[in-house]
Amino acid sequence: MENVLSILFCLSLFYVSITSRVKGYVAVLQFQGLLLTVLVFLPFIKNFSIFGIILPITLLVVKVILVPRYINKIILDLDIKRVIEPTIQQIVFLLLVIATMIVIFLTSSILSQSTELEVIPFASGFSAIALGIYIIIFRKKLIVHVCGFLVLENGIFLFGTAVASELPMMIELGVLLDVFVVVFLMGIALNKIRSTFEGFEVTDLGRLKD
Amino acid sequence: MIGFSILILLPLIAALFCYVVKNLRVQYNVSVLVSLLHLFLSLMIFLGYYHVQLPTFFSFDSLSKLFLVILSNVYFWVVLVSFTYLKRPVTSKAQEGKKYYFLLLNFYLASNSAAMLSDHFGMYWVTVEMTTLSVAPLIYYYRNEEALEAMWKYLFLVSVGIAFAFIGILFLTLSANGTALEGKQLFFWEFIRNAKELNPIWLKASFIFIFVGLSTKIGIAPMHSGDVDATSNAPSPIAALMSGSLRLTALLGVMRIFQIITPTSSFEFARVILIIGGLFSLFTAFVFMFKVNNYKRMLAYSSVEHLGIITLGIGIGGLAFIGALYHAIYNSITKVVLFLSAGNIHSRFKSREVDKVKSVLNIMPKTGWLFLLAYLAISGIPPFGIFFSEIKIFEGILFSDKPFVLALVMIFLLFIFINMGKIIFTMLYKKGDEEVSQTKPEKFNIIHLAAILLLILLVVIAVTSPEIIYQNILNVAKDFGMKL
Repeated sequence: MENVLSILFCLSLFYVSITSRVKGYVAVLQFQGLLLTVLVFLPFIKNFSIFGIILPITLLVVKVILVPRYINKIILDLDIKRVIEPTIQQIVFLLLVIATMIVIFLTSSILSQSTELEVIPFASGFSAIALGIYIIIFRKKLIVHVCGFLVLENGIFLFGTAVASELPMMIELGVLLDVFVVVFLMGIALNKIRSTFEGFEVTDLGRLKD
Repeated sequence: MIGFSILILLPLIAALFCYVVKNLRVQYNVSVLVSLLHLFLSLMIFLGYYHVQLPTFFSFDSLSKLFLVILSNVYFWVVLVSFTYLKRPVTSKAQEGKKYYFLLLNFYLASNSAAMLSDHFGMYWVTVEMTTLSVAPLIYYYRNEEALEAMWKYLFLVSVGIAFAFIGILFLTLSANGTALEGKQLFFWEFIRNAKELNPIWLKASFIFIFVGLSTKIGIAPMHSGDVDATSNAPSPIAALMSGSLRLTALLGVMRIFQIITPTSSFEFARVILIIGGLFSLFTAFVFMFKVNNYKRMLAYSSVEHLGIITLGIGIGGLAFIGALYHAIYNSITKVVLFLSAGNIHSRFKSREVDKVKSVLNIMPKTGWLFLLAYLAISGIPPFGIFFSEIKIFEGILFSDKPFVLALVMIFLLFIFINMGKIIFTMLYKKGDEEVSQTKPEKFNIIHLAAILLLILLVVIAVTSPEIIYQNILNVAKDFGMKL
């Protein structure tokens, strides 16, 4: 089941790399949040506990409801043009993503021979991390950068479940809260950037240099 | 539990208080009181008069005791001068920033103390991210374009960097597969105890990710840009706080993973990375000192330089390691004086450009002399502390297996000294259009007092070299398994 979810996760990554609408990014973030929630929820089907259910619920609330809604609100409020402005052609970007994913999957399967790890979630998580960085590098819009950062965070989350690390729940919740506050602050900053610079692109930010 | 309450819970309560009570004066008094208690308690703990029981995820060792005192000291002075700083006239837009100033400062103290005391990688990560979140709005204090850009870049770069550090932490879990640590919690001390069993490949990967990720926050080149922008555009007390304590919080994470790696076969690898990181930071500071024309950026690059020296010293090991820890103490104190004086100059000349600042020694003699003394201190002129710590680091490098590094360090430091001197002497001595008689004489205020006391403290620690500090640093070196 984990593998199926991870593969769905990978498909969402392809969609992100080809879509040219900001809304598409938000939808994917929502979808990925849902996948991660199901993934975290799975172990509780067999042995249910009230205490353990807190994490999946928080995940659902933060990643599926709050963050996507908040980003949508920013897009509406700031009246951002709904297309992402890439710095390289979409098809080149897609090819780059595919090439990176192939390398990551091959490397992970080689690594899995010496260490015990679940290849598909591990590699999917890592692909999302790489894609997040590519989005930050190859897109101009700052709101898309925030989405890229969130894809990266989702990747780390999936990757974390793959290495079977048992972080205590308090810390998992802390991580989620931190990510939420980061996005919240970035949203406020975007608002200010809009009113100060009258733009939301990286190219607007060029005052500080030597 | 009382200790834990004062170190972490009390600042949180004070932050809440600052949210409810809007009077700036009351907020200031409460914050000073909290910082004083914090400083007193961390000194008591450092001197060994008080033993604190901490809950799970938190504990003390020699390193965290030392860093906690550094944090507490820097924070106390910063809070003490904050009210005078806030009274200065700002644009109407920036008035808004004052409302949350003390709230965020208290929140910063709580999260940073928690980060210093955490003995669990997960807890460390969460609290370090919280320090970023508390500092980012403070960078935007002036509410102008530069501050906004600096805040955005800092928030974004550091968040991505810390996400990388999280990957490093996950790799560390992987390295524990098949050992006694598998499935256990990520406590530092458990990893240090079982370090030899860890899988070397994953351990190396973990070190790289944690080092590169936290570099954004430490300000190690080439990841220093967000940090330099933030330090140079933040209000001076915040810049002092960042240079003096926040960078060390991030360095603590790197030192923890380095401590784990020390007894393993990957030690040499990690050492080389630290040395390269340190040298490259020195090189970056060396290059940018030639072209920098903004004196706060100059100080930010000076922070890059000194954190580079500390990283280099840790990487070289032995005597240089001892020197590096001393350097962390002295650098934090000197940076507070430098940034506070720079803040005074900024409020008088309303510009951070070197060209627009003239004849500081005539117009504001008190600040001018303090700035000059702090410059001499940061350049390693005796009897200020940095001279002694740098000598230790140099000696350590000279008698290590990589003595040639010393030649590079010397060249970089020489040119940094000359270029910084050129800028500072231009600011202090160059004749301006403004006549001295037309300006009001500079009043002595609490910022001057703080700067004088800090400079005295710097000299006293260096000259008397208290046994307790030496013993503590020696204990840290022992924990790291350094051969002296």
